[in-house]
Amino acid sequence: MTVLIDLPREAPVVGPGVTLRSLSEEVSNRVLLPNTPRWWWIGFALGMALLLTFVVQLIWLFINGVGIWGINIPVAWGFAIAEYVWWIALASGGTIVSALFFLTRSPWRSATNRIAETMLLSAAPCAGLLPIMHLGRQGLFYWLFPYSSVMGVWPQVRSPLWWDFVCLLCYILMSIMYYYTGLLPDLATVRDLARTRWKQVFYGVLALGWHGSARHWRNQQTVYAVMSAIMAPMVISVHSVVGLDFAGGITPGWHSTQFPPYFFFGAVISGTALIMMLTILVRWGYGLEDVLTGYHLNALAKVMLVGSVMLGYAYVWEAWGPIYGSDVAERTQFFYRIFGFYAACYWGKIALNIVIPQLLWLPIVRRSEVLLFSISAGIIVGMWLERFVIVIPSLSHGYMPSYWGVFFPTFWDWAALAGTIGLFLSLFFLLLKLVPIVSMSEVREIVAKERSR
Amino acid sequence: MSQIFGIVGVFDRPEAVTDAAKHLRSLGFRAMDAYTPYPVEGLDQLLRPQRRMMLPLVMFAAAVAGAAWGYFIQTWDEVLNYPINVGGRPHNSWPAFIVGTFEFMLLVTIAAGLFGFLASCRLPRLYHPIFNADAFGRASVDRFVLCVEARDPSFEVEHLRRIFERFGAERVAEVPA
Repeated sequence: MTVLIDLPREAPVVGPGVTLRSLSEEVSNRVLLPNTPRWWWIGFALGMALLLTFVVQLIWLFINGVGIWGINIPVAWGFAIAEYVWWIALASGGTIVSALFFLTRSPWRSATNRIAETMLLSAAPCAGLLPIMHLGRQGLFYWLFPYSSVMGVWPQVRSPLWWDFVCLLCYILMSIMYYYTGLLPDLATVRDLARTRWKQVFYGVLALGWHGSARHWRNQQTVYAVMSAIMAPMVISVHSVVGLDFAGGITPGWHSTQFPPYFFFGAVISGTALIMMLTILVRWGYGLEDVLTGYHLNALAKVMLVGSVMLGYAYVWEAWGPIYGSDVAERTQFFYRIFGFYAACYWGKIALNIVIPQLLWLPIVRRSEVLLFSISAGIIVGMWLERFVIVIPSLSHGYMPSYWGVFFPTFWDWAALAGTIGLFLSLFFLLLKLVPIVSMSEVREIVAKERSR
Repeated sequence: MSQIFGIVGVFDRPEAVTDAAKHLRSLGFRAMDAYTPYPVEGLDQLLRPQRRMMLPLVMFAAAVAGAAWGYFIQTWDEVLNYPINVGGRPHNSWPAFIVGTFEFMLLVTIAAGLFGFLASCRLPRLYHPIFNADAFGRASVDRFVLCVEARDPSFEVEHLRRIFERFGAERVAEVPA
């Protein structure tokens, strides 16, 4: 079984100068050489500074409770839940690129999948922490585990919130195992190229003694293919269940059958946008222009465009349902969303997620790294706004006028946002320094195939 | 006589390894393995034609077990151990248990895949005699190594050296045990 069926004719997937040896050395040296580039230190320092904000925010939260945020009745779900959905969508994008496009044998996936999965493993903890922070009594989060944790009482497993907990837990564990299965051969390469004793031992232990025999490869290829076929529906189920968290409530603006696919479309576009930004960063920072070529950016941009169109479809239905339907509360809610207090957020998400990404139809835009980076950053902000619009205006304009009120974020809300970004950056930059950021064993197949034709 | 693990031929093309392995098998050699930087299609089937891949079956069995476990733990919770009437729904409201069952099934399947994969590769095993081979470090970078092990009944160093060289090995070396 090979990674790909056919290589595209129009553009080389890897640059002409790449050989098996230069590929391995280029990629491995980034984790082996002692001189760390300055941009890495800047990024890592920024991450650590924001992580410190997170720690301070957490301590203040544990002392005072969730009242330090702007949440109250009627808007009892604030930034923490909106950002939870935002982070899990960003993480899901990593699995979509990695698993879904493995199954389609897309050649561009081989060089970007490690970036995607590293991003996923850095974003998933942010997603996991936010709902726990949102609990009134954070120390009791373990009551969610399916065992009779307190006085013989079990969790209520009929609730979408419990499904969500199970999904997230399984998703993180499965992602780590999937990541490691793909990483093992590359760790062996790093072990073999390491020159200092300490690094030889470190990567030697991590590689578990992999020696790339025919038997090893066939086992790895078989298991990896089956795992990909499992991870692809898995990630769809994870983000659909996040949608069910909302669809299961009767709040106007949430109670919609389209939420599971709607949320998944959001994961496609926002996850790909973050992968795009990180790919451009790694490509520029590590000088890997020959391995992460314009072909990869072009392919990612097309996935982003598809995500944008799918999301636009969901937005149309989001408007069509309340207007065509007969529920006055739904209609009131929808008009409040587009003309009310939070209207700027609504139109911001339309502009950033739907209107501006249409530029990607133009090949010239897909070739410009600056434009791709800016559009991707816009999409990530736009998706944050989308989660905000789903969670907060819905709660602030429910069935009863006596139950209307606005949410306004406090300093600690913003600190939580900055803090999770810090956690993400710290983890991503650490992994960037510790693991080979391009899947060497898979790109080798592409190099060999291009050389042989 | 000093003990040796086997003899390796180092090639720079995957086709050379495949051809050499095919020839050696036709001469009756069985105890051999190839070490390559990326999966070479059909090489394992060539070296071990009898081998059946059990891993997908193991993963399927794990999926069935995981689903059973996931469903059971929810049924035990809601039906047997602590039944509560929630909105008049039946205790065994199976549609609501499907998500949990599905996720547990996939988790167990992936775990079985990873551990089954490591077990079928005899990993973790930090030491293997092949690591002593000359230039073995390049087998994970850009070289294709074919090793015939000394335990093969028709093992004979000079004979194998000539065969490797005929197939274009850039170096041939004995591997100490």
